[in-house]
Amino acid sequence: MILARVDGNVVTSMGHDSLIGQTIVLCTPVDEAGANAGSPFAAVDPLGAGMHARVYVTTDGSWTQDTVHDDHSPIRNQVMGFVD
Amino acid sequence: MKPGKVIGTVTLGHRDPSFRGGRWVMISPMGGDELTGKNTSGVSPQFSLVAYDDLGAGVGDEVLYVEGAEAMQPFDRPIPLDAITVALIDTYKYEPPTQ
Repeated sequence: MILARVDGNVVTSMGHDSLIGQTIVLCTPVDEAGANAGSPFAAVDPLGAGMHARVYVTTDGSWTQDTVHDDHSPIRNQVMGFVD
Repeated sequence: MKPGKVIGTVTLGHRDPSFRGGRWVMISPMGGDELTGKNTSGVSPQFSLVAYDDLGAGVGDEVLYVEGAEAMQPFDRPIPLDAITVALIDTYKYEPPTQ
């Protein structure tokens, strides 16, 4: 699990079938104080995170395969929850 | 998934039989400076990598790629692969808050 901040989104023109209909957000890893802590990455977001929301993102590909209903999905990152 | 820019293609001569028909691209990872446009050189200081590509990404295209064991999930047999392109980026927005 990665603590991250949602800093944007991505619109794709073509991709793996399991990405169809998924919202993809760009996240920046942050530390407990909110400072940047790594390079940005993309994650599917079934929850609808708002701009600059602090979120927890899983890096477990097998969990994401379950939620996108595709056993052949290469997607790893998925927004799991918002930090209150 | 990480954003990256295709900066070249790779053609393999002798290769593992499981890679027959595969296409390979060289990707430069896009960090914060590349996504916000501060670095206009087109290549980031991070290490570039070679990824399998079945989307037809061309040089200059921006893509999302996956590294790690998940990269071989789209295949119906285990193959020795740990990076693959998963989407071509049409547009993106990246606006980190100003400190």
